[in-house]
Amino acid sequence: MAHQTPLGSSASHVSCLDLWREKNDQLVRQAKVAQDSSLPMRRQQLAQDALEGLRGLLCSLRGLPATVSVLPLELTVLCNFITLRANLAQGFTEDLAQDIQQGLERVLETQGQLEARLEHGLWGLWDSTLRVSSLLPELLPALHHLAGLQAALWLTTNRLGDLTLLLQTLTVSQSRASEDMLLLLKTWRPPAEESGAPLTLQDARGLRDVLLTAFAYRQGLQELITGSLPKALSSLHEAASGLCPRSLLVQVYTALGTCLRKMGSPQRALLYLVAALKEGSTWGPPLLEASRLYQQLGNIAAEIESLELLVEALSITCIPEARQLLIEVELLLPQPDPASPLHCGTQSQAKYLLASRCLQTGRAADAAEHYLDLLALLLDGSEPKFSPPPCPPGPCVPELFLEAAAALIQAGRAQDALTVCEELLSRTSFLLPKRPRLWEDARRRTKESPHCSHWVSATHLLQGQAWVQLGAQKEAISEYSRCLELLFRATPKDKEQGPASSCEQGCTSDMALQQLQTAALISRGLEWVALGQDTKALQDFLLSVQMCPGNQDASYHLLQTLRRLDRRDEATALWQRLEAQTELPQENTAWSLPLYLETCLGWIRPPDRETLCEEFQTSETCDL
Amino acid sequence: MSDPRPRVEYLAGFCCPLGGVAAGKPRVLCHGAEIFLSTGGEMVYVYDREGRLLIAVYKFPGQVWHLELLALRKVLYVLCARSGIYCLSLDQTTRSVSRDEEDGGDDQDREDGQVGEPPVPVIPVDPDSCVLPDASLHAFTVLDDTLVTLALGPTQWKMQLFERPSPGEDPRPGGQIGEVELSTCTPPVGSQGESAAPRFLPVLCCASPPGSRTPLGHSRSSEGVMLEGALFGLLFGADAALLESPVVLCGLPDGQLCCVIIKTLVTSMSAPGDPKALVKILHHLEEPVVFIGALRTEPLAEDMEDVHCDCLVALGHHGRTLAIKASWDEAGHLVPELREYSIPGPVLCAACDRSSHVYHSTSAGLRVVDLAQEGSPLDPTERDGAPGSLPPLLYPDNLGVGSLVTLCVSSSAPEGGAELLALSAKGRLMICHLDPHNEAPQSSRVTSAKAGKKIKQLLSGIGTVSERVSSLKKAVDQRDKALTCLNEVMNVSCALLSSREGPRPISCTISTTWSHLQLQDVLVATCLLENSSGFSLDRGWALCIQVLRSSRALDLDSAGSAVTYTIPVDQLGPGGQREVTLPLGPGEDGALDLPVTVSCALFYSLREVVGRALTPQDPFKDPPSAECTPIVLPEQDGVCLPLSEHTVDMLQGLRFPSLGVPHTQALGPARDPIHTFLGTCRVPGSQPAGPESLRAKYLPPSVATIKVSAELLRAALGDSHAGVSLGCATLQWLLAENAAADIIKAQALSSVQGVAPDGTDVHLIIREATVTDLCPAGPIQAMEIQVESSSLANMCRAHHAIVGRLQRLVVEQAARGSSPPDLRLQYLHQMQANHETLLREVQTLRDRLCTEDEASSCATAQRLLQVYRRLRSPSLLLL
Repeated sequence: MAHQTPLGSSASHVSCLDLWREKNDQLVRQAKVAQDSSLPMRRQQLAQDALEGLRGLLCSLRGLPATVSVLPLELTVLCNFITLRANLAQGFTEDLAQDIQQGLERVLETQGQLEARLEHGLWGLWDSTLRVSSLLPELLPALHHLAGLQAALWLTTNRLGDLTLLLQTLTVSQSRASEDMLLLLKTWRPPAEESGAPLTLQDARGLRDVLLTAFAYRQGLQELITGSLPKALSSLHEAASGLCPRSLLVQVYTALGTCLRKMGSPQRALLYLVAALKEGSTWGPPLLEASRLYQQLGNIAAEIESLELLVEALSITCIPEARQLLIEVELLLPQPDPASPLHCGTQSQAKYLLASRCLQTGRAADAAEHYLDLLALLLDGSEPKFSPPPCPPGPCVPELFLEAAAALIQAGRAQDALTVCEELLSRTSFLLPKRPRLWEDARRRTKESPHCSHWVSATHLLQGQAWVQLGAQKEAISEYSRCLELLFRATPKDKEQGPASSCEQGCTSDMALQQLQTAALISRGLEWVALGQDTKALQDFLLSVQMCPGNQDASYHLLQTLRRLDRRDEATALWQRLEAQTELPQENTAWSLPLYLETCLGWIRPPDRETLCEEFQTSETCDL
Repeated sequence: MSDPRPRVEYLAGFCCPLGGVAAGKPRVLCHGAEIFLSTGGEMVYVYDREGRLLIAVYKFPGQVWHLELLALRKVLYVLCARSGIYCLSLDQTTRSVSRDEEDGGDDQDREDGQVGEPPVPVIPVDPDSCVLPDASLHAFTVLDDTLVTLALGPTQWKMQLFERPSPGEDPRPGGQIGEVELSTCTPPVGSQGESAAPRFLPVLCCASPPGSRTPLGHSRSSEGVMLEGALFGLLFGADAALLESPVVLCGLPDGQLCCVIIKTLVTSMSAPGDPKALVKILHHLEEPVVFIGALRTEPLAEDMEDVHCDCLVALGHHGRTLAIKASWDEAGHLVPELREYSIPGPVLCAACDRSSHVYHSTSAGLRVVDLAQEGSPLDPTERDGAPGSLPPLLYPDNLGVGSLVTLCVSSSAPEGGAELLALSAKGRLMICHLDPHNEAPQSSRVTSAKAGKKIKQLLSGIGTVSERVSSLKKAVDQRDKALTCLNEVMNVSCALLSSREGPRPISCTISTTWSHLQLQDVLVATCLLENSSGFSLDRGWALCIQVLRSSRALDLDSAGSAVTYTIPVDQLGPGGQREVTLPLGPGEDGALDLPVTVSCALFYSLREVVGRALTPQDPFKDPPSAECTPIVLPEQDGVCLPLSEHTVDMLQGLRFPSLGVPHTQALGPARDPIHTFLGTCRVPGSQPAGPESLRAKYLPPSVATIKVSAELLRAALGDSHAGVSLGCATLQWLLAENAAADIIKAQALSSVQGVAPDGTDVHLIIREATVTDLCPAGPIQAMEIQVESSSLANMCRAHHAIVGRLQRLVVEQAARGSSPPDLRLQYLHQMQANHETLLREVQTLRDRLCTEDEASSCATAQRLLQVYRRLRSPSLLLL
């Protein structure tokens, strides 16, 4: 009764509605002007102003009791507001869900059905609203638009259950209760807006297409990660065939490439990668995927070349295209995840990948150059554009220095390697235990030994190797001794203490520690051998075998030394043990050692193991 | 001893909002002679300290939240709330104009001229100078050529890194270099994040390693600090140390203190930053962080040109202070030495100087704490090996200047002293000079005066601690007591509530008598509280007696009024009794509206006993604000246990002077003779409680009768009345709760003349009657109860009381299974039909009474009375 307007005011009521609609149209036009503006500042400000205008307009509309005649405009304004806001904030926030909820409550208010609300959450509200709206056909276009925005919100927050229910209700006339969201999205036909309707930033059908592509891509990626490859293939095809911006198309094609590589069709994968490269300005993901593909195919040259191109590609700062002020597919995609197969990292990460692959595949000279470049990038870059490799899978920064030194030694540049090691020690000198104090404590018979990070010991090991290469055995032996001293002082218990590098725990397994000790002992032993001090060498080799009985290299070196010293009984016993060990299946060699340590272990491998075996075999049989 | 109070030099006053400037958003910066100032409003002022005049005023579109100055480039960055970061070029050209205008004016009284309308024209800031439009920005800092910003996302704080834009040039679209989301935080409440300005803003501080190449203060923000290598490596790890990367320390309003290594940040486009790897949480202060800074606690080496800070300090709003230093343990390991102190809060703002002092302002005053190692000369071995450790306790020295909302340590301090630029809550800009001679030099030996001071501080510290201990102990005792009380209450409640049937362990019986009080006869209700339970009712229990005068039956206009009496039950042990009497009336006007309902309940006030124990009474803490009071007990909260209810009706209130019942000497309330006289002069009939004697003279008495079948009465009264006539027994039964019951029994009366509380007669007559035409089996023996009174109201009250009793009787009999005899339905129908027509007439007459004027309403009332009489005339019949 009280809401009834007097007859005389109906004219002003209509004009007021027209005024509001005109305001909405003007704001939408302003947002479109902002979108076309080339100046980012101006664009941002115009868009912000339009958003505030829409917010104000929505507020004044909500100030009135809800009526069916005003609701289409109010819902349209709400849709425009949500679209612009989600775009400017680059995501859907919780208060947008509340805005949608309020919109639905306004619809129910006109039908006096407010009491049924929120029993089943937002979905329940949608259910009752859509049921009510079948009686109010004039509301349908705006409601479908709002439902599209709700679907986008639920898609980004991963509430797929609610989303399925909503789509089933929206498409109920077309197909009966399908569970397949892609099918549901395809069958959903939002009613077309009438010609005289208030302007919208994005129409419901466009939004539907965006949702379809985004969902297909999300699902395809998910299936790719979980390993259901055929499904992933079909979903990704769906995404590629839809409304797909170029930058996304690159990713879709790359994902298709990854999928096909994993399914064992490298040639078809390559075709997609080429298509991806042709498509756009972001070359990172397809190049990285190409390098993986070539690695799988065993084509090292092509793999390295891809990685080099990847480094090149990532050095170009890509300028993002001006965003449209709409709900775009990118907005609905999950946050980029380092675990995703499409993640290509930064230039320094790519550089590291290139350098380490070079080192692993025996291209030492290239590896050394790449490592030096990488260190220059990291240390001299005045702009913090370069992120070190992500830590848990990759090495930490000290290890990067060590790998660089190892590569330099491998490439025969011992002097440079020494410089790198010096740099590493000097930069972290203040983190090392204080030496005078250390000696003082030793005199006081303090039991605890200062913890020292493993990479400090490893630095000394590499320094020793460099000195060996330079022919300075004395220096080498003293470095090895320093390394061993630090290693034996450090007990694994101390691991938690001290200034840990961000990934220290990850890369200092007990196994690595053991191998490091063995490597240092063997290296020193070899130097003793070179100096002709076989007894000292024997000690070191014996110790190394004790430290790490599984390491056959140590045993072979010991065997050789025993033979040289003519200690035949011990040699025979050791030989028999070795024989027995080789007959056993090799222990798990799967544990991964840091790359610098692997390289180091490669240097001290007895070069003539086979001949030694044969020799010993024959001498043994002769003896018997 | 020297006076530690600083010399304060007042510079200028600025407009401030009503209630003073709030802390948290105002900023003051200083470069050379120029002071840059924002008071939390929309203005940024530039003040010349030497000329003592305002040079420029810039107006921004929103609240200014933060200022950063790049001194060398003469660029001021300003964070404007809900708008973004603006960049102002401070070169002379823009300002020379205003300076010229200034010079023309009178310089003499410029000093105080800033209050009110600033004499300098306000320059509105060009929207184009906004270099980073982002409404969600909450803090920023400048670092080399980058801008580090902190924006509040929907659920997280997001740190972003931009290439530093310069004024005038449009920032490149690819300006963003890196970003990372800080671990999830609870964003400030209120879903409409934009609407309310946050009370606390995050605090940022840049820390650089010792070897970093950019000299401090050149293109770095004024708040950047350079840390000693060991502390830097310890806090931020070997990676940061190897990369020689600056680190941004971030103190959030939820108390989290975290750090981000700048060189590891990348954009989300090229590679997402994994917050777990990139953000390291250093500590959690559990209260809003208001300040992060660093200072030097060790004496500086001679050859060092840059100050390498060796101690990181963070202050929380409520005074929690964190200090971190690097030290070596006995085995030579590098370990962090982390100490938390608590200084009296709330801290409004803070600053560090280049030595070991932290200045912080509270509403009580500006205080300074010294984090330098005071030296432990007793143990020289400790000194040479390990760096000095942090003091175990802090002693804030009050410098006496109250309510400063922002502080800045001026760079132009004299040797050894300190100079603080400060803005007070009243909008006054001032300089506090701290005299170097008052602050003993760090390296000096401990003098006896200083030792004395130290001892005094220690003693006062002990005093405060013991005071605090005793107050805490008191609080604990109080809580203990409250808990025992609550336990007792639980026991009593359980005992009362579990015994629904049978006698209740705690009961309250109510009886009424007439007694003579203060020249007047008063009907007095006596409540007897008996505790037959095993628990005692202690302090905190109260007996609530509610007296409800339900006069609605007689007077249409007034609703029943209730009065509640609360009587504290002070210690009622098991077996104890307490009697409470309270007068029911008649009041001053002589009226007593019967029936009156008296109900008793036991009430236990939680607020009185528990509330006190719950409200913190710690004098060392803030006064409890609305959000930190643990439980808000409403004023009336308590446990209420109803005990009994009793209705006092007319039959209990009647007195029988003719029977010689005690306390009936004075008939009716004693009245003022003038009142009586005036009463007789009034027009009869206009007042319902008018002069009864006149009415009795001129009006026929009102009569009502009720017929009850003799069989029913006999069955109900049973054997208790054997030997007397049924009429007498009935009368006795009706007046059972009256003092006259015994006399009636003794004299075997079947009719009695009583006096109502207001003095009019009430006549009760019981006689035998027969009802003939109702039952087909023949006439029914019945008793007729007749009520007769000259006052219609009293007749009605008595009638109502009798009907109430009979009703209960009938219900009881029906429950026992007795059935009424056969009735002639036709007759009953007829009676009902008659009554319905009459009732309808009553309704219409009543409606008419409401609308009619004075004259005609009299006639209507007469008519209404007649109808009522007819309604009563075939009297009520109970079988």
